[in-house]
Amino acid sequence: MRLLMLGFNHRTAPLELREALAFDPTRAINDLRGAYASSECAVLSTCNRTELYLARPAHDPPMVEDLRRFVAQQTSVKPDAVTTASIHREQEQAALHLFRVCTGLDSMVLGEPQILGQVKRAYEAADQLGSVGPVLHRLFQGAITAAKQARAQTGIDQGRTSISSVAVDFARNIFDHFHDKTVLFIGAGEMIKTTVHHMKRLDPGKMWIINRSLDNAAALAQTLDLNGAARGARAWDDLEELLVEADIVVSCTAANEPILTAARFKPLVRRRRNRPLFLIDMAMPRDIEPRVGSFNNVYLYNLDDLLKTVEATTQGRRDQVGACEAILADHVERCMGEIRHRDVGRLVKQLRTRLADIAQAEHDRTARKLAALNGSAEEAHLEKLLQQHNHRLINKILHLPLSQLDRRDPDASLGFYAAALRRLFDLHDQPDMPAEATTEEKTENG
Amino acid sequence: MPQPLTSIPLILLTIAAALSSVTALRRLGTPEGQRTGLTLQHTLVGVITLGCAAIFCFRWLILHESWQPLQAHVDGLLLIGTLLAGSILFIQARPRLFGLSAFALPLLTLILAWGICAALWTYRAFNLDSFQPVWIGFHTGSTYLGLLSCMIGAGAGAMYLFVQHRLKSKIHLPGTMPLASLETLETLIIRAATLGFVLLTLSLITGLIIVTQTVRETALGPSWWTSPKVWLATAAWATYALLLNVRYATSFRGRRAAWLAIGGLVLLLATYGAVEAIEGRAAREKATANTSAMIQPEARPCAS
Repeated sequence: MRLLMLGFNHRTAPLELREALAFDPTRAINDLRGAYASSECAVLSTCNRTELYLARPAHDPPMVEDLRRFVAQQTSVKPDAVTTASIHREQEQAALHLFRVCTGLDSMVLGEPQILGQVKRAYEAADQLGSVGPVLHRLFQGAITAAKQARAQTGIDQGRTSISSVAVDFARNIFDHFHDKTVLFIGAGEMIKTTVHHMKRLDPGKMWIINRSLDNAAALAQTLDLNGAARGARAWDDLEELLVEADIVVSCTAANEPILTAARFKPLVRRRRNRPLFLIDMAMPRDIEPRVGSFNNVYLYNLDDLLKTVEATTQGRRDQVGACEAILADHVERCMGEIRHRDVGRLVKQLRTRLADIAQAEHDRTARKLAALNGSAEEAHLEKLLQQHNHRLINKILHLPLSQLDRRDPDASLGFYAAALRRLFDLHDQPDMPAEATTEEKTENG
Repeated sequence: MPQPLTSIPLILLTIAAALSSVTALRRLGTPEGQRTGLTLQHTLVGVITLGCAAIFCFRWLILHESWQPLQAHVDGLLLIGTLLAGSILFIQARPRLFGLSAFALPLLTLILAWGICAALWTYRAFNLDSFQPVWIGFHTGSTYLGLLSCMIGAGAGAMYLFVQHRLKSKIHLPGTMPLASLETLETLIIRAATLGFVLLTLSLITGLIIVTQTVRETALGPSWWTSPKVWLATAAWATYALLLNVRYATSFRGRRAAWLAIGGLVLLLATYGAVEAIEGRAAREKATANTSAMIQPEARPCAS
């Protein structure tokens, strides 16, 4: 069996094309099974990639061009565009690609952990549709195992790589539980929206959005489903009251001057009874004066601080790529070795069956002729029959391989087949000697 | 009394505690994936817990028949060592208290090292004949358990300062060991201080009863109330009383509470130092008197 991968991802195709090339994995698998019944297939479809994995018999379709045509039919994207945007890998390279995808080495965010779950789901879906055979089983299971090992041993998926999630992580360093905490968001932009999503996972007791325009704050609260007695939009005039109440403040406005200065915050410290306060300033220019961070029990982080952590995480992950590649290379070698051994085992079985069939046919033919003989007078005839039997047997066994060698196929690598035959039957590569020379040599040697 | 049978295993356990402290501290700054030694750390703390308990039982069952609980300082230190090592084993298994063992293990090393000194240099059994052992039991038991509680509080305080320093300096290297949150540590400081305060109160009251009932027999003598031991113990008690109110006082939250927990422990350790010094001096004076009289056996100073 030969492994084949055809795919499109964020490196090979822009977002618009990736959207156009996305297709329903279930339908694609069913169509592939219909068109190429002897192949195994699985489809990995995520927001950043669509990839087809196939294991096909060595000389059977589909070839890469067939797959490209198949994708073009499935998506109504022009074949030329499919060819330009696609990558394809075969055998070890296809396996290595899947292993790298599983580990997150091929992801847009290096080492991101979600892809492993997506690969698992793609594998399970294909398995349920019955399109996964022994080769793809071994490949996907090997990829998942290798990815887990690489992640555990190198920590390539450790840390956060988005500003909002880093901010939430910092909050966990200060607070243990959040059900009794108040989170205040100042602003109503995209950054606030993303951070609210991350913050909601902590399930804080109260979440307020405050903005100079109450309508914008209310609209955002509505969009984010922040409704109720302890959640929602508040008027700008409530800012100081909310600063006293809040435990976490996330600020990202377009203001040109700081909203929260040290002078404004100082009288609030006593009213807050020195409770810890985590301030996240995501605005540029800054919304919170840096001196506010020098107050006791106040922890102020701005965009630069968060970006430094994101960059450090990314750099840490980049440093682990080499170690991951080494682990994956080892797993790929083992996986492909097992797939090849399985292929050879099947080949030997087929060969035995074929030879047994030939032997049986010749046995039946010779037995019929022997039944017609009687008495010792026909011993000479018997000998002749046995010789003919052996001759036919050898001819029939050799017919298939020799006819392949004799075929006038420009692509046939005769040298390879000849070498394989020599190796398999232990034949030495000796030049043909003329009969006379051989006789002379014999004479000289004496 | 065969002191080597106490001090030699104690030396080995102290080395184990020092090794586990180094391992735990190294793990604090090591990125994920390169962090090793957790099994070694667990094993060492387990060995220390069992080792301290074994020496304590050995002294109780084997050393001499008249042994009574907490008869000498080394017994008390062994008891604290056992309980502290057991607490560290518990802490290591709690995800919310990640990293606290790195701050508690050096304290354990200190206690065990002190145990060696108590066994080698200042070993004396307490005089239990002169007053009721029940008061001594209460006094020494509550003192040692109070010290244990205060040690956990101080360890949490040290870790609070470390975590706060990291947060204020914005040292948050990805992959470094996730540590307990400031809120968790403050809660632990308050709880440990509360328990320590209750036990120290009990210790002070029983100590007062012992001193006032047996003024002549104790090492402190009639002017006991001027003794550094009494003043230091009262100061430590007052520190923990203050610490209990941090939740309600605006000026003693966070970093100051952590410093109070550490300061309280320092005062307690100083009190123990004073006990050793006073009892040592009293023992020397008694020994001198006995040598000159050459008639009486060596008198043993009491615990208080």
